[in-house]
Amino acid sequence: MNISQSIEIREKVIDAIRSFFKKQGFREVFTPILVPVPSIEPNLEVFETQLRTSKGLKRRAFMIMSPEFSIKKLLVAGVGNCFEITKCFRNEEEVSRLHSPEFTMLEWYRVGANYLDVMKDFENLFLKIVGKNKMTYQGKAYDLSLPWPRISVAEAFQKFAHKDVLKVKDEDFYKIFFNEIEPQLARSKKPFFVYDYPISQASLSRPKKEDPRFAERFEVFLAGIELGNCFSELIDWREQKRRFEEEKALRHAQHKTDYPIDEDLIKALKSGLPEVSGIAVGVDRLIMLAANAPEISDTIVLPAQEIFKI
Amino acid sequence: MISVNAGNITKGMYLIFKGKPHFVTKADFMSPGKGAAVMRVKYKSVDTGAAIEFTYKTNEQVEVADIEKREMEFSYRDGAEMVFMNPKNYDQVSVPFTLVEDKIGFFLGNIKCWVMFFDGLAIGVALPSSVTLKVIESPNEVAGNRINAPKKTVKLETGMEVQVPIFIKKGEKVTIDTETKEYLGRVK
Repeated sequence: MNISQSIEIREKVIDAIRSFFKKQGFREVFTPILVPVPSIEPNLEVFETQLRTSKGLKRRAFMIMSPEFSIKKLLVAGVGNCFEITKCFRNEEEVSRLHSPEFTMLEWYRVGANYLDVMKDFENLFLKIVGKNKMTYQGKAYDLSLPWPRISVAEAFQKFAHKDVLKVKDEDFYKIFFNEIEPQLARSKKPFFVYDYPISQASLSRPKKEDPRFAERFEVFLAGIELGNCFSELIDWREQKRRFEEEKALRHAQHKTDYPIDEDLIKALKSGLPEVSGIAVGVDRLIMLAANAPEISDTIVLPAQEIFKI
Repeated sequence: MISVNAGNITKGMYLIFKGKPHFVTKADFMSPGKGAAVMRVKYKSVDTGAAIEFTYKTNEQVEVADIEKREMEFSYRDGAEMVFMNPKNYDQVSVPFTLVEDKIGFFLGNIKCWVMFFDGLAIGVALPSSVTLKVIESPNEVAGNRINAPKKTVKLETGMEVQVPIFIKKGEKVTIDTETKEYLGRVK
């Protein structure tokens, strides 16, 4: 793909995302990229820098790994349905086909909704971006007609790997998923949703009322690629604080950069987050699929590999 | 037993998978939304040439195949076999075409390379890091694919097409990286 094609396809996909949400009355928000406390992600490393004022004040400063914490503060303030398209940063990852240290993230939050509603949003958004209900990616044909298959994590592990997912260690989860489950689910030639993750992988999602061993979270996959990660958001601030502390300890154990938990977010949650579901989607991956490009770097102008000579 | 951390697997390695040597054609690091990172590896079986995908945890140890390398010269292709010769003792050995097909554009007669042996069997070929080849077709039109370094596609004497700077003309010799198929320089 040449540079003008890559600029054009990116512009088109981002325009499609904006118009999809604006037509439904979602607010587009713009939250900080430089923050004093980034989100707690036990397996991700952050870019740290320092803020210095001319009077000599110094503050630790971080590039966001996701805009989620800031958007949640806006939700508490009553912004309602909203979306953001922003740059996010992750350090100490391989620069690879699907990963760039700087990447574009789309998040949207639907108030009063649960994760099942967001599955429908994702289906409709993806169809709007592609423009038809069939697509070819790297020589393989995919059927995008609705609805896409949905399978719970427990059912998928039982059916395809003959394992009880609650007995699978977190660190083995994706190895089993990609070796034994994903290839079976991919046979349908359709994108698919995998939902209800073990609570140990819940992060910011709320437990299921009917079975609190699982959390209301889904991921969506196409062509072996994870396209989005959604939660019915946890609104219980005590539980959130407990999980933050647990994840902070995990970060520490893995020798990741240490930083405090976001007390402002806990304070905001105390005053009441509405019932809301949100999702994070890698925009570069959407563009890569729409452009039928083999790697995300083909859709990024001046990709990290090129400018940093990696 | 020599092993490698799965997080460090790279294209071009020979590893033991399910007890048999396999060639790594692709290794994609992947960090899921939540959870530990994995390495998604695409193998080629050196027995059957079949492609197999497997996902490892990045902290797993994977056994490296004990490969012996012998310096040889490429002689000719005989259907599904590539024939190589040891210039010192004229020993010949064949390697299945399917195991070298992605590098076929570099095999010009008498090119020096290393044939890889596992348990006495030839299972692959390693090329020098770069090879010099003559340009036999070169278009005049120019289509830039990068802001600061416009390139064009030319055909080399082996039939392989590569991207080179726009000043390269038909009949010139160019040095090409055998790993990335990138242009490295012009040979006068």
